[in-house]
Amino acid sequence: MPTFKLDGREVPFEPGDTIMKAAWRQGIEIPHYCWHPGLSIAANCRMCLVEIKAERPMLMPTLKWDESKQDYVPSDKPKLTPSCQASAVPGQEVFSQSPEAKNAQAHVQEFLLLNHPVDCPICDQAGECKLQDYWQTSQGTLKRKHTEPVHKPKAVRFGPTIVYDGERCIMCTRCIRVCDEVVGDHVLDMRERGNKNEITVSPGRELNHKYTLMTEHVCPVGALTSRDFRFKARVWFLRSAKSVCTGCSTGCNDHMDFDPRKNQIFRIRPRDNAEVNKFWMCDDGMLTYHRVHENRVTQGIIRNGQAKNVTRAEALGAAAAALGKVSGANLAVVLSAQHSNEDNQALVRFAKEVLGSERFHIALLGGWEGDNILRHTDNNPNCAGALAAAGGKASSMPDLLKDVASGAVQGVLALGWASTEDAATLAPLRALKAMVSLSSNVGALTEVATTVVPVASFAEMEGSFVNAKGMAQRFERVIDAPEGVKPAWQTLADLAKAMGKPLSHAQPTHAPALQGGAVEEARS
Amino acid sequence: MSKKVLDRLVGHFHERILETESFRGDDEARVAPADWVAVARFLRDDAECAMNQFIDITAVDYPEREQDAKPQPRFDVLLIVRSLVKKHRIRLKTRVGEGEELDTLFGVWSGANWTEREVYDMFGVRFRGHPDLRRILLYEEFVGHPLRKDYPINKTQPLVAYRDVPAAKLAPFGDDEGNPFGRIDWLARMSGRNLQVSPAIAVQQGQRPALSSASEDLAPPPPTAAAPTAPAAKD
Amino acid sequence: MEPIQEYEDENSLELPSEPMHLHMGPSHPAMHGTIRMVLELDGEIIRKVDVQPGYLHRGFEKSCERGTWSQVYPYTDRLNYCSPMLNNVGFSLAVEKLIGIEVPERCQIYRVILGELARVTDHLTCAGAMAMELGAFTPFLWIIKVRDWIWDILEIETGARMTHSFGRIGGMAKPPTEKLKELVRNVLPEIDKVLGEVNVTLLRNRIFMDRLQGVGVLSKEDALSLGVTGPMLRATGVDYDVRKATPYSGYETYDFEVPIGHVGDTYDRFMVRLEEVNQSCRILGQAIERLPDSGPINVDDPRVILPPKDEVYTTIEGTIAHFKLVMEGVKPPKGAIYSYTEGGNGELGFYIVSDGSGTPYRVRCRPPCFINLQSAGPMLVGDQVADIVPVFGSVNMIGGECDR
Repeated sequence: MPTFKLDGREVPFEPGDTIMKAAWRQGIEIPHYCWHPGLSIAANCRMCLVEIKAERPMLMPTLKWDESKQDYVPSDKPKLTPSCQASAVPGQEVFSQSPEAKNAQAHVQEFLLLNHPVDCPICDQAGECKLQDYWQTSQGTLKRKHTEPVHKPKAVRFGPTIVYDGERCIMCTRCIRVCDEVVGDHVLDMRERGNKNEITVSPGRELNHKYTLMTEHVCPVGALTSRDFRFKARVWFLRSAKSVCTGCSTGCNDHMDFDPRKNQIFRIRPRDNAEVNKFWMCDDGMLTYHRVHENRVTQGIIRNGQAKNVTRAEALGAAAAALGKVSGANLAVVLSAQHSNEDNQALVRFAKEVLGSERFHIALLGGWEGDNILRHTDNNPNCAGALAAAGGKASSMPDLLKDVASGAVQGVLALGWASTEDAATLAPLRALKAMVSLSSNVGALTEVATTVVPVASFAEMEGSFVNAKGMAQRFERVIDAPEGVKPAWQTLADLAKAMGKPLSHAQPTHAPALQGGAVEEARS
Repeated sequence: MSKKVLDRLVGHFHERILETESFRGDDEARVAPADWVAVARFLRDDAECAMNQFIDITAVDYPEREQDAKPQPRFDVLLIVRSLVKKHRIRLKTRVGEGEELDTLFGVWSGANWTEREVYDMFGVRFRGHPDLRRILLYEEFVGHPLRKDYPINKTQPLVAYRDVPAAKLAPFGDDEGNPFGRIDWLARMSGRNLQVSPAIAVQQGQRPALSSASEDLAPPPPTAAAPTAPAAKD
Repeated sequence: MEPIQEYEDENSLELPSEPMHLHMGPSHPAMHGTIRMVLELDGEIIRKVDVQPGYLHRGFEKSCERGTWSQVYPYTDRLNYCSPMLNNVGFSLAVEKLIGIEVPERCQIYRVILGELARVTDHLTCAGAMAMELGAFTPFLWIIKVRDWIWDILEIETGARMTHSFGRIGGMAKPPTEKLKELVRNVLPEIDKVLGEVNVTLLRNRIFMDRLQGVGVLSKEDALSLGVTGPMLRATGVDYDVRKATPYSGYETYDFEVPIGHVGDTYDRFMVRLEEVNQSCRILGQAIERLPDSGPINVDDPRVILPPKDEVYTTIEGTIAHFKLVMEGVKPPKGAIYSYTEGGNGELGFYIVSDGSGTPYRVRCRPPCFINLQSAGPMLVGDQVADIVPVFGSVNMIGGECDR
């Protein structure tokens, strides 16, 4: 692989790489705002200017302060090049820390802050803001301008999810490029020029496509903020765990940012993975973390005419009694495409060893539109994994309803809350001898169940999903489960004990011991 | 100034001095645990070193070193001594792993007595041949060694009941209501969960490069974890 | 009166020959609150002693590993709480050494002034408490009066009498007040006067001298091997003072002497401390003459020093600087250094390790009195129980620093 020298360090690059991209691949940061590895090159922020050594350098006349003469004297300086745009050339020498380059960075930074409002204390970007980082590393001085800053519109509603602050904006156009290049919807553009320049929404439009939160994600400053995350948390209190989006079968890799003090998730950020989601995620996927905190089942429920909250132990006892009344041949087991491989495999083993049942069905969630960017038509993260757990033989929920109507099924053990069918459609299940649901959230399946045992959501356990491409992807535990609530695979082991037939392998085959935290991929 | 001592040490012990370092005027030499006492004794008795003034013994915990490609013992034990006559000082360092014992320096400088006890107390490094290796700042019933990185700062200790006082009357210790800022979750990090803070802060904490690169997440899967059974294509 | 000898001659009364175990402290007025000694006595004679510190352990070093480098200052105040300013300065110098910056001259002089004031209070507290524990209550009150004068000055300068938290990485929290020179100039002769009275009262007192002289002797070799530093080491005849041996903050430019003892007993330690008060006053007299009335007090580096508050409130650059320093902290380069200064009790060292982040990786404080206290055991063996009080007092064990 050819290499070039960056600040004395050899940097290998692939043909066609720019200096910036090659450095980025090596984990070296050249200060920049407008460049993003997933977007086209704009080269408009001028922060990444570097000095490139040439045999015949292009020199620009300039004036330099001469200490001895106490006056400016004519001099010259090399012309600097934006490293995000300049192609890497084998053997060239690039300096991003030379005096001239650092001088340029300091002055670009001063320029970008000329009209910046004093907003850090109320800005959600504070703590992860490039303006803050580069001020400290590249500028470190006060600006020389003392006049009133230019004022621009603040708190502009761009759409249902995004709020824009013109004064904080540095016009890097990343948001425009995200809409153009990733989504293909030219909904954002610039208007005016010079210091009146601002980002604006196309007339008659709102920023309302399916990837609006990506504009906030790429914004290097606090100009675009997400209404979902605005004023909710300060980023330096958050910790992140590597997780996988549960919104659809694409299985976008993400970071779940949570506050360990409150045991609460505050946002999802995309995690770069060139083979799955590159740098992006859709809006609906980024909001799936709400499911972890909303409509949770934290206690057992027994419906005997009327619903009654009971402890987990009581619910387990009731479930064991109800399941014991039905013979294995008449018991159906519903796997969940929303639950991890570990949970589904434990359920299949439970069905075969404890119940003696071979009737497997898969409950799916639907309702989202797919597209050809990231969103898959299958709205479940683990359909393939659940199907594989059942040995590839599982029928659908309508089939289950047919079997119930015909009387072939007299009891159901269902995992998860999600199902395409609503509670009214599933109403025949209410009359069964046993209708047990292991669920983390309130849903159609829990509403028709006579016994509900609480289980942990995906964010409260470690496990893996298999996405539509057949890649198994691990996710980490993010927060602690509500008190007393355990993952489904553990709950099933407890249920087997309550029924007097302990499972042969209580631990899931892929024990949730993460090795090094890396997402592993196994192609089938 | 005390660079001479490093030269003298290397000149006398050659490759037994594993590495030397000078940073901001401090000189440091690293030796193997087996050479710990021999080098210390040489420092004291050699006429050119003449380190007769004991200053300090302490330790630092680097748990992540155990997981490196070339695993290294996790504890650094440091000795700082000074020469009264020559007016130079040196820092001697060695690496000790979990459960390993290091020879005591009590026979060389008697000041090593309490400082080694403190290292044992805070890090759990044991010293072979120490005359009185008890905990010194903490009490005998204390569980764990608090200056290890995997000892959470808000960990509570079991209550040791007073004599003649019913245990029920003792107020329970509450969880520490600390602000988690700036703290690395060592337990999580060492168990491999490697929680990350927001990207900007993570950069400062040295947890990851400034931009996450795709290659980071595309690391080959660890050999121990088995892949799930191949899923059948969904119809 | 009949001679007491007669009883022994009759051999009718025999003292028990079994050694007696005595637990002294931690709740004992002479144990300064936080030390326990398990003694093995043969009559009045101490045969063995086990000194057990740790009753004031608060996890200083662990606590430092959770905040920013600047957030360590309040903890350092609570190390040697008799001279918190010396700890502040010591820690500042350590982090500055790690970063590789040097504070302006005005700040160095200011640090010398505040540090020497703290040293005076530290030595006086030790001397006064020692006298009081031997029954001399009046000199104690005089000395505490002097200490209060100095604390008044420190309060005017820093806003707090004891826990100043006044040091900063790369400078001090505030420049010196206009009154400082006048205040120090006025108090110096007063200190001298009171010390003269104390000397007259104590050093001509036969009982006081008998309790100190020849008691708790520490040899030079033992002291060096044990790592004893400060006044205790100097009392044995070793002229090791960090201010002279490796000067910092411009101490090499001041004219002062290092007093040393000859015997290494409690009396020498007492006298070395008193003489060091005089020497500190000499330094103070020179320093206030040198202190410039204007000039920078902090280094000019926005990555280390907080911006002025009016800039924080009115400019984005100031806000960012404040934000980065408060939320993330000063980020010294990756590395480890050991920095040492002359604290109240001896060499106050900080071995600090940075991993390049805003949070200390390790802050090891070499506590002078913890290591000095180790010598209490060897010193006491062979002396009498009553000697524990002056000997232990002369070690000047400060719980906060000893136990951390």
